[in-house]
Amino acid sequence: MVANNNMTPREQMNQQVLHLLSGVSTHGDQHLAEVERDLVQMDVLLEEAIKKLGESFMAIHAAIRKQQEALDSMMAEDLSAPDAAVHLEKIRTEINSHVGAALTGLQFQDMTSQLIRRMVQHLTGLRTVFGELDANESVLPGYSNEALLEKLNRISDRVGARCSEQEGGMRKCVNQSHMESGEIELF
Amino acid sequence: MMAKTILTVDDSGSLRQMLAFSLRDAGYDVVEAVDGLDGLEKAKQKTVDLVLTDQNMPGMDGLSLIKALRAMKNYESVPILMLTTESGSDIKAMGKAAGATGWLVKPFDPARLTEVVGKLIG
Repeated sequence: MVANNNMTPREQMNQQVLHLLSGVSTHGDQHLAEVERDLVQMDVLLEEAIKKLGESFMAIHAAIRKQQEALDSMMAEDLSAPDAAVHLEKIRTEINSHVGAALTGLQFQDMTSQLIRRMVQHLTGLRTVFGELDANESVLPGYSNEALLEKLNRISDRVGARCSEQEGGMRKCVNQSHMESGEIELF
Repeated sequence: MMAKTILTVDDSGSLRQMLAFSLRDAGYDVVEAVDGLDGLEKAKQKTVDLVLTDQNMPGMDGLSLIKALRAMKNYESVPILMLTTESGSDIKAMGKAAGATGWLVKPFDPARLTEVVGKLIG
């Protein structure tokens, strides 16, 4: 801030307040914009990673099933090995169970993606609030303390109004804290 | 015997991928839609045997999709399951009132999902 020797103490105080608010707004906005970009990037990377994982996993499953079908066919021709057939069936059941568990676990991306979207909404909300602080630029040195106070009160009201507006659009939809499969209810 | 067709509606690509894998593995045909509006369009193109929809999606959410489908003559009795992260009693009641057949909370277990689907459409 450039100091002006002709300014009264009160004018300097006014300018300090303006400088402070403007600084909070500018820096807050920069930091939040970076966080927002990082979160969006994380979402994109997670989506891609989970897609690749899913494709690989399904290919492995298909290969195992083909192998199992070949073994089943071989076993069908050798009726003297019933124990082996039972064993193979047991393995197949076990593989299916693991596949199911992995598929349940892989659904983390769907939930984290919703959480990230909500965080981005919150960050956008914060930026809006900081933007309201910056609207104080029109307060010029020379305003009386009363006028400055009135201006600050109006800023507070606008910030409060913005916060209230945003609360309604950010309902929490993901409350899961683990990856166990969810409940099923038929009506 | 012709395979039954299931319409899955979810804005998450990975979730749709896993649903399709699980349902096709159980012998069902799967039609995928990326949100409620797309789901409604796909449902109009072909009457499916069961609809499995997410709740929170851009454009048209799951509850709105259910209401729109129930207003169509050919979807009056087609089972519609909600598959969502949401588990609150209020929204479940809204789902029931809209015409949902059942409510499944994510994450889903493929075996339990196909068991429920099997009970409803065989």
